[in-house]
Amino acid sequence: MRIAVSLVNLGLGTIYCSYGIMTIVDLKRGWRANGFSHFGLAWIGMAFTCGPHHLEHGLHVAYSALNAGPLDLVAVLVGAPAGVTWFLLRIEALRGGRGDRFISGTPWWLRAVAWLSGAYVAFLIGATVVTLQRAGHFTPRITPNLLLLALYCLIGYYLLRTQLANRPALGGWSVSGLALTMVFPTCGAMHALFAIYAVSGSYQVEWHGLLIDWLAVPAAIYFVWVVRNLSLGLSSDWNEGAEGARLQPAAA
Amino acid sequence: MAVALAATGSFLPHLAGRSSALFLVVQLAWLPYATAVFMASAQPENSFVLVGGPVGDLLVLFAVQVLVPQSSDAVLLGYLVVVALGVYTVDRRLAAALAAGAIALTFVAQPLLPVSHRLGAAELIPFSGAVLALLFMLERTAAIQAQTVQRWKTKSDTILAHVADAVLVTDDAGRILEGNAAVDIVIGQPVASVIGHDCAEVLGLHRGERLLECSNGCALLELVAGADARLGCELWRKLPDDRRQPLLANASVVVGTGGRREVIHSLRDVTRIKEAEEAKTLFLATASHELKTPLTVIQGFADTLTRYPDLDGSTKAAALEAIRARSVELARIVERLLMSSRIEAGPMNLVVEEVDVAPILAERATSVGAATSRDVSYRGPSAGVRVAVNTDALITVVDHLLDNALKYSPEGQPVTLSVAEAPETVCIEVADGGIGMDAEQAAHCFDKFWQAESTDVRRFSGTGIGLYIVQSLVEGMGGSVAVSSLPGHGSTFSVHLRRHLSVATTLAVRLGEQTSIREFMRQLGVPARTKS
Repeated sequence: MRIAVSLVNLGLGTIYCSYGIMTIVDLKRGWRANGFSHFGLAWIGMAFTCGPHHLEHGLHVAYSALNAGPLDLVAVLVGAPAGVTWFLLRIEALRGGRGDRFISGTPWWLRAVAWLSGAYVAFLIGATVVTLQRAGHFTPRITPNLLLLALYCLIGYYLLRTQLANRPALGGWSVSGLALTMVFPTCGAMHALFAIYAVSGSYQVEWHGLLIDWLAVPAAIYFVWVVRNLSLGLSSDWNEGAEGARLQPAAA
Repeated sequence: MAVALAATGSFLPHLAGRSSALFLVVQLAWLPYATAVFMASAQPENSFVLVGGPVGDLLVLFAVQVLVPQSSDAVLLGYLVVVALGVYTVDRRLAAALAAGAIALTFVAQPLLPVSHRLGAAELIPFSGAVLALLFMLERTAAIQAQTVQRWKTKSDTILAHVADAVLVTDDAGRILEGNAAVDIVIGQPVASVIGHDCAEVLGLHRGERLLECSNGCALLELVAGADARLGCELWRKLPDDRRQPLLANASVVVGTGGRREVIHSLRDVTRIKEAEEAKTLFLATASHELKTPLTVIQGFADTLTRYPDLDGSTKAAALEAIRARSVELARIVERLLMSSRIEAGPMNLVVEEVDVAPILAERATSVGAATSRDVSYRGPSAGVRVAVNTDALITVVDHLLDNALKYSPEGQPVTLSVAEAPETVCIEVADGGIGMDAEQAAHCFDKFWQAESTDVRRFSGTGIGLYIVQSLVEGMGGSVAVSSLPGHGSTFSVHLRRHLSVATTLAVRLGEQTSIREFMRQLGVPARTKS
């Protein structure tokens, strides 16, 4: 269990750090033409706090004597396919490929994913209650994890709202959009489970992890703030000059 | 702010008693107001959420006072902050002075208080910070409100500028004070030229045959005052060429600048609606006639067959053939009507694919020629003309055009279906040597319900929707249709279709953005903007 949790976290951490590097490359390439991007910086900030969080957690689980929680493995495994899908699509786009796939209509398996997501949330809530019934001692050190749960769910909500708004116009779904929509709530769930294991005494919140998570909070707030300002038209970013048909449905 | 809250909150479990209560107050008093400001930023038009902040603060303070009795002095400070909030709504400077005074008083009072009641740095610093932060949030609130007002003004200006109705504002005496851009289009005079003039003179509105008399106040206002005219009433005005321009007019009273009474007039040009109504009436009459003719024949032959069961075989066969032919005609008319209503229901979303159209065109020419016993020829290659089309829609288009050509061509006059290829497009033409059309007729021939002959004496049957269907289907396939015609020399209808599926159309929704930043923005629904 410990090895599995450790390996999956290390893999995911590497992928998130790669997102960050990829976005730095994008930012550098487009800086001259499009100017500085607050959105890009915020995204880099999130990638470089999320990535190291997973790397740190993976290393601590690997080298500590503590038992890794099975829920931790479930959470990472549930989020991993979406994260990997988006990563591969971005790699494809970086190499000049399509960078997205289109799902026509709403096939049965996509409906099933929606139902399974609901079941997953119910399962997590149940497992949380069971875990906390055994032992539970609140520690203020889990505060950043709870804040990140709320912030990531908020970003997930923004993404889901856009996907639902785009569906009638597109007549289907964007795989890139669906993957991103799944990544954020599952990331939030990972933080929530980490907090639960910390409260139950299974995990210890070391200062490295605490520092990274506290850095992740302002990064996520900065990101939400940038998105909010862009949506309300209070500021502009690389959305200027991006009107080449691709962003239209999302504005609905 | 959330970070500061959480950071301080992290230490709460380690505090007890009075200090804990003070922390609770300064932390919790932040939260409702900060939430209200955040929500108001997202929905500036909803001023209710701004009121919710101070109300929430009061509730929090009251709850703390009840739940933590030893918090009385801390709660008192909290109430002072809320008072500062209230004062702020009246005068910013006074509120700032009050807040500064509260902070100063708190500090100055310390040496005067018994040692057990004095506040330490751990209490004084967060308290002062909270008061200052609340003032900052108030400043933000005022900015949001100013922004809201500006946004509403911009919104109403934009609506007024882009609305299709002409809007004129007059004073109580009927003098035009302002108007929108649509005045130029609806009234036919630039806004600047009508400002300052008498409204009744400029508009010259009539109801029935009577000119509206505005000398005793706005007559339109009286007309629309009745409950049955809340959406306006139909009037007309005389155009310079003596034609009547039907208008849907409305008026309402508003209080203008300086409390003056002003009247807002809105005028909608309903000429096209009236024309459409007339066309629909004509269509109903035409369609009824078209449906009735084959029905009469069918009914007549059916009656004959029922009444005279002993008719000889060949007569019976001829009667049945007449019934069959008229039924086919009836079905075709009904099919066209149904397709017309489907087109009316929304844009045609045709699934287009690359197809070799040459065999289809050749087959349709042969079939239509055989069915009508007329000379219909196909000129073009027998294979290898690939076009991006919907096969069913193409067949309907070709059949309609051939049917149309045969209808308006005299017996014996040939009709030609041809195809010409260009690098990117293919042009399918249907040419006849029939009666042709003049320029005005050609300009309207694709209009719904339109027919070259709409008088009582019509030489040609039809419902007037065939070419409308053709145009809708061709446009649904991403193509275009045009006509060239001369009276007495026939008409040529040209359908231009793309040879290949448009990459932009096919892949626009299936391509991700090249950069992660823009792709993430796209998926988040960040609206695209034109580069300034």
